Amino acid sequence: MIKVATILALCLAVATLHAQSPATSTYDRERKVKLEGPVTRLEWVNPRAFVFLDVRDAAGTVTNWAVEIGNPLDLEKDGWKGSTLRLGDVVTIEGIPARGQKRQAAATSVVVKTTGRRVFTPAARKAAPAAAPAPRWPNGHVRLGPAPGKKGYWGNASAVALVEDSTGKVPTNDEGLLTNLSDADRVAPFKPWAKAVYEFRQRTLLVDDPIRACVPPGGPRQFLTPHGFQFIEQPELGRILVLLGGGDRNWRVIHTDGRPQGTAAELVLSYFGNSIGKWEGDTLIVDSIGFNERFWFSNGGLPHTESLHLVERFTRTDMNTLKYEVTVDDPRTYTRPWKSSWTIQWVPDEEIQEYFCEENAESTFIR
Amino acid sequence: MKKRFFASISLAAWLVLVATGLAQQGHPLTGTWIGDWGPPNSTQRTHLTFVLMWDGDKVSGTINPGPDAIHLPSVALDVTTWTIKIDADAKDKSGATVHISAEGKIENLGSPHRTIAGTWRQGTTNGDFKITRD
Repeated sequence: MIKVATILALCLAVATLHAQSPATSTYDRERKVKLEGPVTRLEWVNPRAFVFLDVRDAAGTVTNWAVEIGNPLDLEKDGWKGSTLRLGDVVTIEGIPARGQKRQAAATSVVVKTTGRRVFTPAARKAAPAAAPAPRWPNGHVRLGPAPGKKGYWGNASAVALVEDSTGKVPTNDEGLLTNLSDADRVAPFKPWAKAVYEFRQRTLLVDDPIRACVPPGGPRQFLTPHGFQFIEQPELGRILVLLGGGDRNWRVIHTDGRPQGTAAELVLSYFGNSIGKWEGDTLIVDSIGFNERFWFSNGGLPHTESLHLVERFTRTDMNTLKYEVTVDDPRTYTRPWKSSWTIQWVPDEEIQEYFCEENAESTFIR
Repeated sequence: MKKRFFASISLAAWLVLVATGLAQQGHPLTGTWIGDWGPPNSTQRTHLTFVLMWDGDKVSGTINPGPDAIHLPSVALDVTTWTIKIDADAKDKSGATVHISAEGKIENLGSPHRTIAGTWRQGTTNGDFKITRD
């Protein structure tokens, strides 16, 4: 049975199963679909797992649907086990259909028909960890990682995309798509070409986002990417490593050995640029240049050029909170330097799990 | 046979990666563009290579870099329509100056291999042109 109902005014805040929501460019959030049938296959791949089921329509014709159920790491955290769904289980799925005529959907709920058991339901989030002061090294510096003998990493950010601080809150969805495109002028002080490119990317629902091809999330986007990150401080080597849990498990080097910053013309341009860090009190200040133009440095499609210069300030205000502030200076793209900031929450007693971006993985198993 | 098949698949995968993953995402005109111009419906086409660069104030560049390069002092871009205008002076075989003026529109803006197509006038010859970002 297939029921596809168009909900004209369905708000964009459809309750999704998991933190990494389905891409707006793939799924039409203004429609709903209800599917029922036996599970024929499970594909447990990054960035999104799929359930396949045979669905019989009113005429008796059976078609096989591919249903996205969320990110494997999020599913595991929410209690997924190998026995959660078995081949042959008849399930009822409600979700969002793919754009066009594809037999594909993103699930918002999955129920096993015989038992009425709802699966893939997000587990209750843990209570906020107890407040505590930021841990410190013997020399008094704030530690950016866990206290000795403890585990943990930096998790969710309080923002989803860069927006200039002085303009206040600009509503977006969790991909950085503006609720109102007319807010574009509030996002950043664009030069005309840059605003036109940004609006083009927004209007095309970010379909050209390089991150979909597993291109690294360079610049501030690395701190907006699912699955967190951690700092590895190596003072004896004069560097701090930033290890990403998402993206393609990319890593970035921040040099803290006192070397001077170079000039962009001398550098081999890269996704994470040439980063020079120094401490001012409890704040790590990182100056970066030498970025290539092959990535989007924020969710939502902000453009940049090779002139991009970032100054980032990392301040661990307590055990559980990292304040991040970035000054963006790209005179070829923006009319003046501008700032954006957010906080990032500590995930205690856990480690970053294995995750690798697999470009267009579903094309290998969805017809 | 297997080796050839594997090589073909690898090449195709690499081309897909290059096409999608390594695209230039900065100013839409920056980069190298390759194509040709000629009278409409003619098979006599003249090769064009454009190298364009946005410096924050204007787009400038070179047509056919090398010994016969034509300097492009500026390329006008209207971002409301994604149309461009080009004016430049080339030299003909006798060394006389020949003026070039062209107008075109960027197509497939989000694609790494976006194109610009439009009209081309060189001296007294009218034609069309199409260039694709390399």
